[in-house]
Amino acid sequence: MKRPKDIQENIEATFDVLDTVNEVKVSPFFKDKTMQRLFSDKEETIPTGFSWFTPKLQFATLVCVLLVNVFGIYQMTKTEYDTNISDFATMYELGEDSKPSLFN
Amino acid sequence: MQNTGCNNQIKSLSETTFIKDLQAGKRTAYSRLLEEYEQRVFHTCLSFVPNREDAEDVAQEVFVEVFRSIHKFKGNSKLSTWIYRISTNKSLEFIRKKNTKKRFAFMQSIFGNEIPLDKTSYFTEMNHPGILLENKERSETIFRAIHQLPEAQRIVFTLHKIDGLSYKEVGEITEKSISSVESLLFRAKKNLQKILANFYKNEN
Repeated sequence: MKRPKDIQENIEATFDVLDTVNEVKVSPFFKDKTMQRLFSDKEETIPTGFSWFTPKLQFATLVCVLLVNVFGIYQMTKTEYDTNISDFATMYELGEDSKPSLFN
Repeated sequence: MQNTGCNNQIKSLSETTFIKDLQAGKRTAYSRLLEEYEQRVFHTCLSFVPNREDAEDVAQEVFVEVFRSIHKFKGNSKLSTWIYRISTNKSLEFIRKKNTKKRFAFMQSIFGNEIPLDKTSYFTEMNHPGILLENKERSETIFRAIHQLPEAQRIVFTLHKIDGLSYKEVGEITEKSISSVESLLFRAKKNLQKILANFYKNEN
């Protein structure tokens, strides 16, 4: 069992360690390495012609294209299309029933 | 007295030009920035992250952040204060990430085959180059204790006691009044006393 006095001494000695920390010099290559990183990063981010075409816009465009396609397919498969065609055929007597017979 | 005022004006004028050059991305400006701040930034990072390699990595991240965000700098504080603030945030972010990784590795080791190598804390890797070998054990203890403090107390204690900044500087960086800095420091010391007392009581 440790005495409170020993514990207090240990605590004080531990706090004192912080006053004995020596100054550490940064690596002599730090500046060059950092400069290289800064300016190589900059070159990579040179704006191209499509820099305005951000991911948000890309996603919005994709959604638009998909919607137009879905609408197109829906229009194509709609039964109204067949009705219109048969109306058209009837109007111009192109239907099978209204075929003029040679024997009439 | 008038001379000092004039000097301050020249200083602030040249700082404004310097910031404009930084915002314009001039290479010479960044070269000067690194010359002026590399040591200070590294020292702050090393105070939070007591390992040379890690501290250098964090310091580099600080300069990258300055490079990316300098256009947002409005000059409401001194450039040095702003850079210190980034250094503090980046260091804390680094420790947080390291601890998350370690916790994940620890969980993996429980459910998988790996053997746990540490107690999931970043400070088991402490290797501060400025600490004498005979003080290594005690410094590990104090750094681990500091890490257990609430964040506000930890920041203030580290900046003042380890990085050696004045109350005024700490107040500017943390955007707190000097009296709040003093109060946080007082509470930090008290809590550290408790943590250390507990540690030495249970030590074999």
